[in-house]
Parts: sequence; structure tokens; C-alpha cells
Amino acid sequence: MSEHKRLDAVEGKAGHPALCVLPEIEKEDELLEIMWTLREEGTLTHDQVLQSCSMEGCEAILKDLSKSGWLHVKGQAIELLPKGEKRARELVRRHRLSLRLFYDLFALDGAEAEACKFEHILSPEVTDSVCTLLGHPPNSPDGKPIPRGDCCAMFRQEMKPLVAPLADLMPGEQAKIVFITPGSHSRLDRLSAMGVVPGSIVKLHQKRPSYVIQLGETTIAVDKDITKEIFVKKV
Amino acid sequence: MHDHGSSDGERHRDSNLNKVILIGNPNVGKSALFGLLTGKYVTVSNYPGTTVEVTYGNAVLNKVRTTVIDTPGVNSLVPMSEDEKVTRDILLTDRADVVVQVADTKNLRRGLVITLQLSEMGVPFILDLNMDDEAKSRGILIDQERLSRLLGIEVVKTVAIRRSGIDKLLKSIQQPRQSSIEVRYDDAIEGAIRDISSLFPEANISRRALALMILAGDESLKGWLHANMQDHVIADLENIRQTLQSKYNNSLGYLINQRRMKKADEILAQVLSLHESGKGSTIAFYLGKWSMHPVYGLPILLVVLYVVYQFVGVLGAGTAVNFLEKGVFGEYLNPWAIKIVHFLLPVPFLQEMLVGDYGLITMALTYSIAIVLPIVGFFFIAFSLLEDSGYLPRLAVMVNQVFKIMGLNGKAVLPMILGLGCDTMATLTTRILETKKERILVTLLLALAVPCSAQLGVILGLIAGLSGLATVIWLGTLLAVMLLVGFLAAKIIPGQPSDFVLELPPLRVPQLTNILVKTVARVQWYLKEAVPLFILGTFILFISHKVGALAYIQKMTDPIVVNFLGLPSRAAEAFVIGFLRRDYGAAGLFMLAKEGLLDPIQIVVSLTVMTLFVPCIANFFMMAKERGMKTALYMVAFIFPFAFGVGGAMNWILRTMKVAL
Repeated sequence: MSEHKRLDAVEGKAGHPALCVLPEIEKEDELLEIMWTLREEGTLTHDQVLQSCSMEGCEAILKDLSKSGWLHVKGQAIELLPKGEKRARELVRRHRLSLRLFYDLFALDGAEAEACKFEHILSPEVTDSVCTLLGHPPNSPDGKPIPRGDCCAMFRQEMKPLVAPLADLMPGEQAKIVFITPGSHSRLDRLSAMGVVPGSIVKLHQKRPSYVIQLGETTIAVDKDITKEIFVKKV
Repeated sequence: MHDHGSSDGERHRDSNLNKVILIGNPNVGKSALFGLLTGKYVTVSNYPGTTVEVTYGNAVLNKVRTTVIDTPGVNSLVPMSEDEKVTRDILLTDRADVVVQVADTKNLRRGLVITLQLSEMGVPFILDLNMDDEAKSRGILIDQERLSRLLGIEVVKTVAIRRSGIDKLLKSIQQPRQSSIEVRYDDAIEGAIRDISSLFPEANISRRALALMILAGDESLKGWLHANMQDHVIADLENIRQTLQSKYNNSLGYLINQRRMKKADEILAQVLSLHESGKGSTIAFYLGKWSMHPVYGLPILLVVLYVVYQFVGVLGAGTAVNFLEKGVFGEYLNPWAIKIVHFLLPVPFLQEMLVGDYGLITMALTYSIAIVLPIVGFFFIAFSLLEDSGYLPRLAVMVNQVFKIMGLNGKAVLPMILGLGCDTMATLTTRILETKKERILVTLLLALAVPCSAQLGVILGLIAGLSGLATVIWLGTLLAVMLLVGFLAAKIIPGQPSDFVLELPPLRVPQLTNILVKTVARVQWYLKEAVPLFILGTFILFISHKVGALAYIQKMTDPIVVNFLGLPSRAAEAFVIGFLRRDYGAAGLFMLAKEGLLDPIQIVVSLTVMTLFVPCIANFFMMAKERGMKTALYMVAFIFPFAFGVGGAMNWILRTMKVAL
């Protein structure tokens, strides 16, 4: 966990309830996140940012951010500068990890709203812990990629994650499917038609000569590759 | 095998009749129920994908003349393979008076997903909870009345293979209703459904269901769309779908499915109760487990193969054939026939045609009834036992890795093993495979290296007389050829291999009645389909012999048959009739060997060539039908020289190394 130094603007927020946070900073965070998301979708322009921003005074905040070196605007072109890039990346990471946490683990209905609060208050250590707890998930529940952290690189079997690929279970173990990150859409469709969906209880029968899993009274033989894409939580 | 009654199906499609369509997940007993309702036998086995075509049958149900339609099993009415498409299309194009959804009671969750889709389609239907006995023995109890109230349709419990519950089923068929249950999707999806629905014309299924199929990205619906709608409307549909899809990162098909699954779980929670119970048959459970165990699996496979070999090769091809061929035909029937024919028909030409060397009685009937029939009969019994036990899909688990070498996966073992029954039928079964590449590969390998039951039986009978080494060489060559050709063909044929996802049914004790009925049906098929071809082949041989063409063919083929393969000149006869049916060709070799005209090396070489040789006529036509004439011709053009090449190489190697067999 190398990320010990907090970003200036967010300094001191950790541990405080969301109410204590200066709203401007949250608004800045919001704008940076919007930029990140738009860039993922390939539609990042100055106007688009303003259009996607539902807060008041977006234009002013944008100017402030530009002035203090978070981002660079030139006509329609807008880009994150290195320190803005880093801040946005971490915000998005915290947001999407929180979403996973609430959605998968706590099965909360208002996961999105909670995640919006959490993204501003998680410290780097807690973020990495959440990431590890969830088994370093590559996607948020809505399928968008979660920016990887240092913990993900260090990961693999060092810390026993709560959520792990089905392929890592021992034969005979039983677990609940938390999320699936399929290589292709058709694969996901096929699996889901057989009952392999988040929430289902799955038991791993054997690994060789082929993987055999059981869901309820359905026994299915599958390729190993597929079981690597099904993430489960032991029950 | 050939006992699917679908070929004559068109005749039964009378529009005035009441129409009942059977729908359900794979391996839930639709065909068993079909047989029960219509009295018409269709193959019933214990593995998913037994039925790949629609089968029509007529029956009088509740005093009403009715057409009953059996369909391939589906996991979703958004099809993912050709056999699933067949089922969806029947709902789309045939207006059913009643749809009977057959579900596996112990696996109701997956059945309910289909129920929800039928509900969306707005078709009148009833739900049959089949295999109720298995559910009970596992302690699974479904509250049938409650389920019926929740769904707003009739729900009955049956055990189709024991006829239990059929009366109630017949009664409820008279009261089909549209289900009142509805799945709500999220607002964006519901919005798109509204937008799309208005664009569809009147159809047999609801516009909402059509809209959901489009949103789920159902490519197989394209044909229907183009036949029923204008191009610009179809483009609109696609636009709406893409706009909606861009809002989600997961595929819409998955999201829709997940929603249905959730609804199914909600329903299930209200009707399912679990009881501790005797856990059913534990021996079957452990056998099922061991049969795909990395260590025990292989010995179990070898035991299974050995038992089949003993049963078919030794008991069938040895004892039974000896009894029929030497005893019944050799001692009694043929001498009597010769006497009677000579007495009644004083015309030498006719005498020779009926009871001569190439006589219709002495050759065609002797080959088909005395040699091939007992062998295929024993094979059919053994094969039916394997099918009904549920062992075959477990074999797929064992061989998955090996099949990967050939660009296939374990699922392809099903058509390959079925090929051991009949390559023609197996070629049709390749429909259960998901990609075109896999279907082409399996069709080629079936035509090339998988001997059919009749042929296999004759081969086993012949080879049983030699040393074990001969069997090993023959089998080893076949497997090597299969792997090599598969490996190379997988490189050449474009396309992607598909995922290995195969459902394994529970191991079951085969039902004696089903084994008997199935074997009888297959023997009938053999008699109907094969014997006439044997007679035709013999007649062709006889004429060729009479006009001297046979001698000419033998002279022409001598360089290959005699010099290259090292076989006697007369072996050419066997290859000629092998064009008609491969087992007939093998039977020809069988006779040659019996007359002492083949030494062990010649037997192994000729059998190998005969096995690899071009597919029989029926199989060729099936290849052309399923894969297209061009592809079929390419395959034959490759197989023919290749088979002789392998035989020649084998002859040379065995002779040079002076292998004693």
C-alpha cells in the first residue's frame, strides 16, 4: 500500500462523516468523475462535461480546477492533468468498489446513493482493504471497469479474499455466486439460462478431467476458463 | 437412431386438428410423454439433446383428434443452437391450441424460466411437473395448487415413464389458459418494449415477447423478421436495441434472463419445501461421481468398453451369428431354399439370381439377417442401456481435453458416440453443437473414422478371432487418424470453438420396457432401411457378375487392392458394396475371412480401409442435407484416397516389420 499521501484537497476527510466535507470539494470530485466516465465512453468534450453535470456552478468549478492545475481546457478539448488524473482515478475506484460492496455483499437496494457518499470518505488503506475483501473485482456491478490499485498487483493468494473465482474453490466446497465477468456475452447468456446467475448457490464437484459444478439439481460440466470468470463467496 | 418419426411428419400436419405442442428444458421427458400420448415411439434417452427435430404424431385425446408435437429441449426461448431454434420457430409459426410445458420437478427453477417466457408469449398452456418421483426421493416437494394459483394455469404432476398422472394431464389439456404472471423489467427496458411492440405485425406470439427477443439480441429471429416486416422497420428495431444496450455494460439478454431468474426464484420460494429424505439412490450417485473421476473414471470406461465388447463382439457376433449363419441358414434355410427354388423355377438365370453365389437369398438375406442383424441387435441393446443410464454425457467430461486437440469440446462426444449407432442419425445430431466449425468437423470425423453399429459389430466379430494386438492396431489407427485429421481440419476450417457447457443428467437405472421398445424400434428401422439396400446391392453385384463387369472392376482395382493393399482380388467386391452400406461391405470381408481367403494382416488392413472408407449412401445424403452438397462432396473427395492411403501404409508397415497377429 504505497498510496499513503493523501491528495491535498481531500486531506482530512477520512473518518469524518460526509456532512463535514466541504461541498465544493465534493463538487470538484463529481466533475472529475464525470470526466473520467466520459473519457471511458469516448465522448469527452468541454460541452459534454457541462451537459452531464447536474450541479449548479459547474462552469465556475471547472475554471477553478483548471486554474489550480487539475485539468486543462482548450476550446472543446479538455483533458486531465497528471494530478487530476490520479485524483479522478482514485475517486472512480472508490466509487465502483463501494458499489460492489453494497450491491454484492450487503445486497442494499440504494447501493448507488451509498456509494456516492462513500467515495469521498474512504482512505487509501480502507479502499485497498475493501478491494481485497471483494477479491479485487475487475468490474463494478454495472459492468464498468474498476481502476486497479496497488493491492491488486500484489494480490493473488497472499490475502485470503472473501470473494474468489470459482476455479479456486476446493472440490466439494460450496459458495454463492457474487458476480460474473464473462469473456463474451453469449457465454453469459448461456450460463444464465442454466441458472448460473449471481445469488445462486454453486458447488464445485471436481476439477479434473473437467470442471463439474452443481446448482440445485442441475449438474453442469464446464471449461476451467469459465470457472475463472465466476466469482463466489463461500457459504 | 432412425426411429424419429419426423420424416413422415408433414403428412400429419392437418390444419383442422387440435394441436398440442410439448415444450420444456432438455431431458425432462417430453419424448416419453409424446410416446404416451400418441403411442408413437420416439427415442427416449437419458441425456440432453436426444430430440433434435420436431416430431409430429396423431392421437385421439379426450375424444378429439389431435396432433401432438414433440420439440427439442430448450433452456431459453431465445435460442443458442440450431435445435433450440427449431423449438422457438414452432411456437412462432404454428398456432397451438395447447402448449404443454414439461418441467423436471426437482429442477423447477429452470422450468419456471421457460414458464415465464411462455407467459410473456401469451400462448395458452398448462404446466406438467414431470419426474415427480425423483423429486420426492430427493425430498423436494412442490405445492401444486399454490403454483397453479400463482401462475393462473393448470399444473399437474406426472411420472411419464410410469404413466402416472396422465389422466389428470389429459383433463387439464382441455383447460389451457394464458398465464397471469408477469415479469417487469426496469424502466428503460420496459420503455424500449413499448417502443418496439407497436412495430410488429400480428403474430402467433405476443408483441411483448417478440420485443423481448429482439432486445435480447436474438439473431435467429432475422429470417422471420425479413419475411414479415419491411427493411426500414427492422433497421428501426435494431436502432432501438442498440441505444438501449449502450446504457448497460452487460448484455441485454443477460439482464433480461437475470430478471426472469429472479422472478422464478420468488415463485419457487412460495411453492417449494424441502424434506430430509432417503437421498434417493446413493449407489447411482457414487457411480455417477466415480465415472468422471480423474483416477477411477478411466478404469470404469475400460470396464464399460470391455463389457460392450464381450456382449456385442463375442456373444452377438460370435455365438448368435454362428447359430444363425451356420445353423439356421447354413443347415436349414439355405439348403431348403435352394431345393425349393430349383424345384419351382427351372430357369438357371433365376435360380442363380435367388440362390447362387450372389443370390438374393443366399447372399443378401444371409448377410443381413444371419450376420448383421444379430450383431446390430445386440449392439442396440447395449447402446440403449448406456444411453438410458446417463453415462454418455459423463464420458464427455472424461474426453473434453482430448477433444480440444481436434478443435472440439467434450460435448461433441455425444454425436460421435451416437455415430457408433448410426452415422446418418449422428450427423443430424450435430445440431446440438453451437458453432458451424464444430458441426463441420464432427460431420467429417463421423464420415471418416466412426464405424456404425452394424459395421462395428461385423468388425468386432472378425477381429475377435485374431490376437489382441490386431484390435489394438485397428483401434489405434482409427484414433490416430481421428486426432490427426481433427487437428489439421480444425486448423483449416475457419471459425471459433465454443465453450464446453454440458448438463449432466443423474445416473438412472435403465427401464427395461424402454430398452425393449427402443431396441425393437431400432431393429425395425434396420430391417426396413438396411435389408432392401442389401437386396439392391446384391442384385447389382449379381448383374455385374453376369455381364462380366465385376471381373472388370476387379481387374481395374487390382493395382490398388492387390498390389497396394495386399488383399485378394475379390476384396474389391466388398468395397463396391461398401458404397451402399458400410456394414454390407464389412460383411463381405467377414465372408472372405470365413472362407480362409484373408490372413490376419489382410484382415486388419481391409477392416481399417473399410472403416475409414466413404460413408454409406444414406449418410452421404444426410451430410449433403445438413452441410450442403459442396461440403459433402469435398469430404468424400478427401476420405476416399485417404482411406486407401492409410490402408496401403499400414500394409507396408505390418509386412516390413513382419508383425505377427
